[in-house]
Amino acid sequence: MDEYDELFEIQDDFEDQFADELEVMAQMEAESPKPGKRQKQGPGDDISDIEHLLSEQPTTPKAKRQKQEVGVVKRLFNSSQIHDSEAPSHGEDITPPSSPEQYDHLQTVRSAPAVLDISGFDTIPESPRRPPTAAVSLHVLKRPPLEGDYISVTDSSGSRVYLRQKEDTGAKVVESRMVPNSLGSLGLLAVPIGVLREAEADRRHQQVVEESQRLTELLTSSVNDVLVETESREEEEDGDPEDSEGRSSRLWVDRFSPRHYTELLSDDFTNRCLLKWLKLWDTVVFGKERKTRPVRSDRQAPNQNSSKPNQANQNPNRFKTKVELTEEILEAELDQYKRPKFKVALLSGPPGLGKTTLAHIIAKHAGYNVVEINASDDRSADVFQKRIDTATQMKSVLGANERPNCLIIDEIDGAPTAAINILLATLNKKDSGEAGAESGKKKKKKESLLLRPIICICNDLYVPALRPLRQQAFLLNFPQTQPSRLAQRLAEVSLRQGMKVDTGTLMSLCEKTDNDIRSCINTLQFLHSRGHKQLNAKTIQCVSVGQKDQNKGFFHLWQEIFQLPRTKRKRIGEGFNEAPGSGGGAQRFQNILHLASSSGEYEKVSQGLYENYLSMRVRDPNLHTTCDALDWLGFSDRLNHVIMHGQNFSLMRYLPFLSVTFHFLFAHTHVPRISYPHSQQEASSRLLSSRNALISMLADIPPSIRARISQLKLTLDTLTLLLDIICPKLRPVNPQLFSSREKEQMHELIDTMLAYNLSYRQDRTPEGQYTYVLEPRIEEVVRFPGLPPRRQLTYQAKQTISREMEQEKMRRAEQLMLQRNPVAKREEKKDARPTTTRNHQQRLENIVKQTTVETRPEVDFFGRAVAPKPLRASDSGEKCPVLAMGKAVGNSDVWFRFNEGMSNAVRRNVYIRELL
Amino acid sequence: MSLWVDKYRPTSLGKLDYHKDQASQLKNLVQCGDFPHLLVYGPSGAGKKTRIMCLLRELYGAGVEKLRIEHQTIVAPSKKKIEINTIASNYHLEVNPSDAGNQDRVVIQELIKTVAQSQQIQSSTQREFKVVLLTEVDRLTKDAQHALRRTMEKYMATCRLILYSNSTSKVIGPIRSRCLAIRVPLPSTEEVCNVLTSVCKKEGLLLPPELAKQISEKSGRNLRKALLMCEACRVQQYPFSVDQDVPETDWEAYLRETANAIVSQQSPQRLLEVRARLYELLTHCIPPDIIMKGLVRELLNNCDGHLKTEVAHMAAYYEHRLQLGNKAIYHLEAFTAKFMAIYKKFMEDGLDAMMF
Repeated sequence: MDEYDELFEIQDDFEDQFADELEVMAQMEAESPKPGKRQKQGPGDDISDIEHLLSEQPTTPKAKRQKQEVGVVKRLFNSSQIHDSEAPSHGEDITPPSSPEQYDHLQTVRSAPAVLDISGFDTIPESPRRPPTAAVSLHVLKRPPLEGDYISVTDSSGSRVYLRQKEDTGAKVVESRMVPNSLGSLGLLAVPIGVLREAEADRRHQQVVEESQRLTELLTSSVNDVLVETESREEEEDGDPEDSEGRSSRLWVDRFSPRHYTELLSDDFTNRCLLKWLKLWDTVVFGKERKTRPVRSDRQAPNQNSSKPNQANQNPNRFKTKVELTEEILEAELDQYKRPKFKVALLSGPPGLGKTTLAHIIAKHAGYNVVEINASDDRSADVFQKRIDTATQMKSVLGANERPNCLIIDEIDGAPTAAINILLATLNKKDSGEAGAESGKKKKKKESLLLRPIICICNDLYVPALRPLRQQAFLLNFPQTQPSRLAQRLAEVSLRQGMKVDTGTLMSLCEKTDNDIRSCINTLQFLHSRGHKQLNAKTIQCVSVGQKDQNKGFFHLWQEIFQLPRTKRKRIGEGFNEAPGSGGGAQRFQNILHLASSSGEYEKVSQGLYENYLSMRVRDPNLHTTCDALDWLGFSDRLNHVIMHGQNFSLMRYLPFLSVTFHFLFAHTHVPRISYPHSQQEASSRLLSSRNALISMLADIPPSIRARISQLKLTLDTLTLLLDIICPKLRPVNPQLFSSREKEQMHELIDTMLAYNLSYRQDRTPEGQYTYVLEPRIEEVVRFPGLPPRRQLTYQAKQTISREMEQEKMRRAEQLMLQRNPVAKREEKKDARPTTTRNHQQRLENIVKQTTVETRPEVDFFGRAVAPKPLRASDSGEKCPVLAMGKAVGNSDVWFRFNEGMSNAVRRNVYIRELL
Repeated sequence: MSLWVDKYRPTSLGKLDYHKDQASQLKNLVQCGDFPHLLVYGPSGAGKKTRIMCLLRELYGAGVEKLRIEHQTIVAPSKKKIEINTIASNYHLEVNPSDAGNQDRVVIQELIKTVAQSQQIQSSTQREFKVVLLTEVDRLTKDAQHALRRTMEKYMATCRLILYSNSTSKVIGPIRSRCLAIRVPLPSTEEVCNVLTSVCKKEGLLLPPELAKQISEKSGRNLRKALLMCEACRVQQYPFSVDQDVPETDWEAYLRETANAIVSQQSPQRLLEVRARLYELLTHCIPPDIIMKGLVRELLNNCDGHLKTEVAHMAAYYEHRLQLGNKAIYHLEAFTAKFMAIYKKFMEDGLDAMMF
């Protein structure tokens, strides 16, 4: 009958609902030879006749619609025919002789004339009944017809319809019926036809009564729904058809989701905060004055939360400051565009607490039209941009919901960073400066400004991509739902679905699902559909659904593994009904396995186990436990290797058993002190750094030696001894004073160091002392802590070596150059001397020039050349002293240069004339 | 060229100091004008590389000693760039594919194949084949070894491979069967002593035979180590004295201390300490199998009788698992814990027997 219901509920108007009832009537009418007799049997008895309806059908304008209905009715009759065929067998005691076959035969024969009437239709037995329904719907009127007889029909809910009456064609039908009957009368019936008809009519009547009862029930139940689903009438009507459609197929979660603010299960403080925030937008969105808002919301909040007034104050100590902070935000001034300071609300919390529901309901409550973007949509940057723009800047002009939009971005923690950046850009959009805003008023430039509230929802607030958004958003963290409230709601739900559940059971369900509303209701529905009409705590525990596949922190998991469950702790999965000894092991096993497999990160978990197991307080004198544990670690390591190497991920399922083993090996009643595993990370980074040191050392070793050493040989054999070898005993004296033996030794040392790419680099310690360190830093690679320190060279020795090495390097480089282009080098050497002399000369010449420049023609004050004076002759005769001196400087072998400043050289007065 | 190891390394087959039979055999091999792929293996410090270089010199003349380092960049199919250093002369190419880590297969496929495919231009003056020297073959992944199989056969005409490894156990069978395996064993103590004395003579030093013996024993007949030790001794103190302290590598000392720590106490706390030491060894680039080997050697000194076999058996078991797994520390610690358990039981049994 599911199909029946479903189809039934597609039609939403009254006529359609009653169509089948009426139709049944019509059919009976058609079947019965005496129409008059029918009249008492049902409310809509003697309504219509086939002929008339048939004739009318083609003229109806809504042919398509009718066809649909016809189809529906046909389906309906399929089911009713099942009844038909069933009915005789049931009613055999009453009318034993009529067999179903006969009956069918009768029917088909009867239908024959109808086929003639409707030429276009198939000759399936139902076909004659099709037209009546279509027609009946036409003849069911909401108000009394203007002419002709009518019958009023009233259902139990009080709505009344009017059915038009027709009288004349009944005989015709009878006549048409008579033909097959007369044909059939060739074979004798065991029972007189009259009795048969009598029985058939009774059966029909009964069926109709049943049907109408059922309909009444349905109607009343839907009315109840209407009553329950409080005020907002138009919303109700929107929801109603959807609600009634697929009643059984829909999830309870959706059906029983709150429709109104008062029905919200989530924490009242959170609800109120979000609502207040949304109300802050009223000024800009609805143009309301802000003054009214706080009054209204304040009044509203206590009123609506009257059921649990003290919710927000329940844990006053811990969250006091946070609460105050939030309140402060909500009381904060609006910005220059009259928007609240935080333009986005960011709801965060674990799944199943009703974040999305809350956002939707509050947005509706505040008078917004909800536009939702969630993970199912494409969230690439441009699509996101488009959708944000559409949602925040446009408004539906047509249609019923002319309310402003409120954008809800669900599951924002999964959005790509680019999308979140776009959201941020939208938030921070400025109105092209103040002046621009003034002038742009008429240009509607303001469109770019965000003027609609945006609510974002996420599970994990600390996703890196959300970091910038966090600073700009009004953060609201969702606390856990109160188990008592949740249980109460669950009780309502189960009551309405006819399940018998006591509160204790529901509480345990809440505990099992960690107060996840969705999960609770889904579990209930699952159990309901499985036929559990009565639930107890045991069923809840045994059932494997409902347990949330969540991951708790690593520390929680490690703690669970290393700690024995306390007996009085009523954990789900550790049956407290059973004796602790009997099934405890298995339960613990399952519990740990579940925890470990839901955490997923086996690598990290096993590292934590490895780091911590040795510090557990377990009596293990023979170290067998430790050996077992390590064997398991080795096994899991091997598994990991196989999984990673061969991509054989089906083996992954064996990894969580490591945790189970550790639990059974090391669990203890004490609270374990667990430290976070760092050592492997540290080890790998140190390994990397020492590798790098070796690689950098190897990189510049000349190939002749490079060919003979590898990294491995270096670490295993060479390096330690090499470090010893490069620390010879050196006399702390100037290398010039070394004996030839020592010089040779020094030379060898430098040779070795150069060959192995080692050098000393001056470094400054944090204390400010200078030291020479070996570069690359291979000392760290080969030296182990706790061993007797090796002999170190003194600072002076290292300095000497370093200096000598530099010289040696230079020498070698020069040699190399010389080798590469010996000719050029030699030429250069030849040139070297002449060029220097030339330089010297040049400079001197410059000096001479400078001095000789003085001998240009003299000019007077006005720039005219002064006529040679008699003085000149004498000048030229005895030579200008300056000129003479300049020439002397240029030409003589002796020259001097005056350097400014002071020198420590021996001083002596020297006159120029002495030099000349 | 100043370390004695480098300075006095023989450069031709005729000048080799020990395993002279093998040297002459190699010489004969080359003089035939052709030789098969070689797989040279043997413990570290036995002179494998020296032998190979001598062989190449015998083949191509002194030209092989003009080496250069080439930085090659190979692009893996996954577009990842692999940089690898090769040492090459005009006649040969030396690669350590395991430098590329897990991508060594690509190195084999790309680099070696290109070398193998290219023909020698002046075939009149040269041999008609090049030599590719692959070092640390035992660290090659299986994939890379399989990639090598076909290359070895296909380009036989233009290329000979000399594979070079410490042991053949990790070289797959098909490759072993394609090569002429040459094992270079460690020199005997006398041979090491002889080499040490002759080197010292060349240096103009006088090495007392007792010290030479001590060095050769301490070095475990690893000639490279022995020479380095000898030189370190020389740096420490010249006129050599007989009872001179021979320096050793730090990691060995550290490992020995670790082993002593294991033997002296068996408890979870001690195991934690040992773990820290093992980490220390691992981070100093000491390969885990060598740690395992060293540990077993040190531990066996402290065991007696049938305990030795048991310990050796356990060591083999955990060493195998070590090779199969990724995380060396687990297996090393597992071995340590197992040894502790066995040893403790043994000691307690011994104590019981004493008491009754």
